[in-house]
Amino acid sequence: MTLQKDTERNETKYLHGFADFTGKRVLEIGCGEGRLTWQYAKSTQTTIGVDPDRDALRVAAVDRPSDQQNKVHFACANSQHLPSAKETFDIAILAWSL
Amino acid sequence: MVHALREIRRVLAPNGILIDLRPVSDRWPIEVISAQEVHETGRVLDLPNPLADDEAANRAVIQASGNGWFLRDREEFFPYYYTWDTPSEMEEWIAEEWNDFIDMDEETKRATRSAWALGGAEAQVRVRVKMLITRWKAAQGL
Repeated sequence: MTLQKDTERNETKYLHGFADFTGKRVLEIGCGEGRLTWQYAKSTQTTIGVDPDRDALRVAAVDRPSDQQNKVHFACANSQHLPSAKETFDIAILAWSL
Repeated sequence: MVHALREIRRVLAPNGILIDLRPVSDRWPIEVISAQEVHETGRVLDLPNPLADDEAANRAVIQASGNGWFLRDREEFFPYYYTWDTPSEMEEWIAEEWNDFIDMDEETKRATRSAWALGGAEAQVRVRVKMLITRWKAAQGL
């Protein structure tokens, strides 16, 4: 099946229009396989992606570019119990998950 | 959902922002795209579950805002396209992956197949999903 998603890249355009990710500490809730993560993570200081789906997180970890190994991390968690200390992030993204 | 928003507020730094990005139910249009034109052939049918989910999400953000956790700063809608080479592929995807929240009536299926057949070799079909993106600023002193 030849499904193409967001052929006009509107999601990426709007995401970057709404936030400047440069040098920021970012939390993405509902990161899944990292489809959205790779649209912004390169310019961040650190990115943590959380999702309750372990299989999706395994895909995300495998797809992680080599130059982002030290700045992008994934954790299995749900949005009601985030594995982070208070006031850790500059930007939080609820990615198709509210 | 409200608990999730409170938890997000906890981990956000002062002056942090929350980006809420999600599809909203709105009888998304089905379109055939060809070299000549974009032709709307019908709209999907929203099933009850996603409508209830939208209402619950909206209630949660209203409550979070009312509690003083976040201040709504900016909001826009934009289209997000799911595109297939053929109508049958689209129908198969909807039946397998989206069967919990949308459906297509037979008239729309027929209209889409006809328009696609007339659209030439490069014609494709797509669903225009309505997306909502909202930027919230974390309020001080939770």
